[in-house]
Amino acid sequence: MSQQEDQNRMLRDAVTTFAARDTSIARVRELRDSAPGFDKAVWKTIAELGWTGIMIPEEYGGMGLGLSEMAAVLEEFAKTLSPEPLNPSAVLAARALLHGGNEALKKKLLPGIASGEILPALAWQESEGGIDPLALATRAEGGGLNGGKRFVFPADADGYLVSAQSGNGPVLYWVEKGTAGLTVEYESRADGTRCGRITLRNAKVSDSQLAASGKTAGAALQRAVDEATLMAGAELLGVMSRALEITLEYMRIRVQFGKPIGSFQALQHRAVDLFIQKELSFSVLRDALLHLAADPSGLSLWASRVKYRCSEAGMRIGRESIQIHGGIGFTDECDIGLYMKRAMVLSAWLGNGATHRHRYAALAPAEAAA
Amino acid sequence: MQTRDWDKMADEAFRLEVRGFFQKQYPEHLRFPAYHLRWADTKDWYKKLVDKGWAAPGWPKEWGGMGLSPSKLLIFIEEQERHGVARTPDMGIILLGPLLIKFATEEQKKRFLPPTLRGEYIWCQGYSEPNAGSDLANLKTEAVLDGDEYVINGSKIWTSYAMDATHMFILVRTDKQAKKQEGISFLLVDMKTPGITIRPIRNLLGVEVFAQVFLDNVRTPAQWLVGKPNQGWTMAKALLGFERISIGSPKLAQTGLKRLEAIVQSQGLTRDPAFMDRYTQLRLDVADLASAYGRFADLLKRGETLGPDVSILKIVATETFQRLTELTLEAAGDAGALGGKVAFRKDSVDILSPFYNARPATIYGGSNEIQRNILAKNVLDLPG
Ligand SMILES: Cc1cc2nc3c(=O)[nH]c(=O)nc-3n(C[C@H](O)[C@H](O)[C@H](O)COP(=O)(O)OP(=O)(O)OC[C@H]3O[C@@H](n4cnc5c(N)ncnc54)[C@H](O)[C@@H]3O)c2cc1C
Repeated sequence: MSQQEDQNRMLRDAVTTFAARDTSIARVRELRDSAPGFDKAVWKTIAELGWTGIMIPEEYGGMGLGLSEMAAVLEEFAKTLSPEPLNPSAVLAARALLHGGNEALKKKLLPGIASGEILPALAWQESEGGIDPLALATRAEGGGLNGGKRFVFPADADGYLVSAQSGNGPVLYWVEKGTAGLTVEYESRADGTRCGRITLRNAKVSDSQLAASGKTAGAALQRAVDEATLMAGAELLGVMSRALEITLEYMRIRVQFGKPIGSFQALQHRAVDLFIQKELSFSVLRDALLHLAADPSGLSLWASRVKYRCSEAGMRIGRESIQIHGGIGFTDECDIGLYMKRAMVLSAWLGNGATHRHRYAALAPAEAAA
Repeated sequence: MQTRDWDKMADEAFRLEVRGFFQKQYPEHLRFPAYHLRWADTKDWYKKLVDKGWAAPGWPKEWGGMGLSPSKLLIFIEEQERHGVARTPDMGIILLGPLLIKFATEEQKKRFLPPTLRGEYIWCQGYSEPNAGSDLANLKTEAVLDGDEYVINGSKIWTSYAMDATHMFILVRTDKQAKKQEGISFLLVDMKTPGITIRPIRNLLGVEVFAQVFLDNVRTPAQWLVGKPNQGWTMAKALLGFERISIGSPKLAQTGLKRLEAIVQSQGLTRDPAFMDRYTQLRLDVADLASAYGRFADLLKRGETLGPDVSILKIVATETFQRLTELTLEAAGDAGALGGKVAFRKDSVDILSPFYNARPATIYGGSNEIQRNILAKNVLDLPG
């Protein structure tokens, strides 16, 4: 076994222990439609296990590991349906800060993010959504931020990294919660979590809060968003794998017409097709991680390939699992619906399948690929 | 009360009359509801239908119905759907009424039809059981004759509107020795009878529309058995025809298309040829579904009975609607997982409720897998 595989195995085992000891589907149900929508004590446990710092370099108090290790943890973690915002905070927000150029701010915030004391969120999308981090309507001028951000998750963060357009190109500011001029409203999501709709009315910011500007800001945002997009693929893989397991198990035990429904060929072929989609998702994610470990360029392309496949496969497995369950699949008490709803959220987040299909076509024109 | 001879009226005139009534009388805020309404929501509207004499369009006039022929009934339903008129918990009107009219004794008709029409009796359908879904004939709830009463034991599940219902029509096993389909009877039960417990079940939308109903030594009068003992299966099956065509109506898909249209415009998707191609595909699917529906509707209008090929309609209608709700989520983009009414530039649209509600349509009324089995066997004449 390579050192990498060893490392990933250990990380996965740690999540399995976490899954058995610190979380349960009952807990997930309990937290739906609550505020802030996750459990701060569990977040602390997650931080103690080191997962919030997996992708933060050691010099800032993290583990200094890479996408492959993070993917291993997120895939397993996602199987538990825990609502704690691991990818959004530990990848999307933390990495945007890290890829920025404000050393003092990194020293101030990253150790706290790694240790779980600071919960950050990246506020990068405008109200219309879309995956281009430089399509910015929010303005930074005269030492204040003005505009609106949407789909911010976690909505109740300790601070928000807010992207905006300034006279000198894009900028990224750290804005603490409670800052005058910053208000947060909530929108509920299919899985019972909530994302934030942030309004900025001349929210004052100073240079010490400037995480990145100009080209650095653009590159930091793009890279962090792509990394989190790839990781959302790992989460989707976890969700669809578990959903398929549950469904296959149901096909073995549910009896109609004197036989397990899993013996009906119509359902067998359906299950095989779902399995194939899951295997394709696994394959493209694995390939992406191998390639990116050797050559980090091409991140956007790989992120789109992964997110496209995993979003579509996750949605399909979610929907068809309901169908295969029959009436019980349409109930709230049956867990399978929770998996479908999480797949819906992850699939819409950071660009859905169609959006990434488009970006793939733009990044890899068919002629060039041939 | 109007007791006119609707069938003498020209179709178009009838259509306009029905349309006018809905436009004038149906509460605006209940149009095109995104989720199933409960009796409390629709009660007042139902009262209006009763006063007008329109509560049971398909029943014969002698029982207070409108006495519509199949063709007029289809027009009535089309107008109902066109205006977005919600269905009330109407199983008594749509499913039970015709069955009683065909199979019940005069006394039973007198006893049950008038209060059902007036909305005093709200019925639920107790067919499915935990272990008898697709394989309905496997039902185990048992009824044993004791003097002049049947004593019922067992449980029913997925019973829609059980919480609102005053009565239930139920399939029970009355002969355990007979072959599966041959030992089943059709009984009526008062929901207030001791021994009935209702456990409401929350659905994917988070609301309680169906329930599990437990029957523990529930006594119902022997005169409440409809038809002959052990003939329940044949009776229940005899009525499936009209249900299958109404589940195949293109209206849900047409309404879904309108919702999608608002999002397409708001999101600027008309400039995306790849999206527009898939959107157009769906529009054609909906249009052709309407054509297929028209074809089967014409058969009914001519007084012919529908064959097993009507299953096509259920498959196309429910699956087209599902794909439509899926494309709607996709078109909504980042907002595609937001709950409640989501504000888009052109309109506010609830995208999740239709997506969830589209799911069980391929499960109930005979799942789409079962419909395909029927088509393969009875229409394509394949072996096995
Ligand atoms: C919203 C809703 C409302 C309902 N309302 C009522 C009501 O008011 N009254 C009532 O009596 N019932 C009601 N039902 C129950 C409904 O009729 C059953 O859910 C349906 O018959 C399927 O049965 P099941 O749920 O047990 O699924 P199962 O029969 O267990 O089916 C599970 C899966 O196996 C598949 N399957 C089963 N047999 C075969 C086969 N031979 N070949 C291939 N695939 C097969 C099915 O298609 C399905 O995908 C309702 C259901 C729903 C979802």
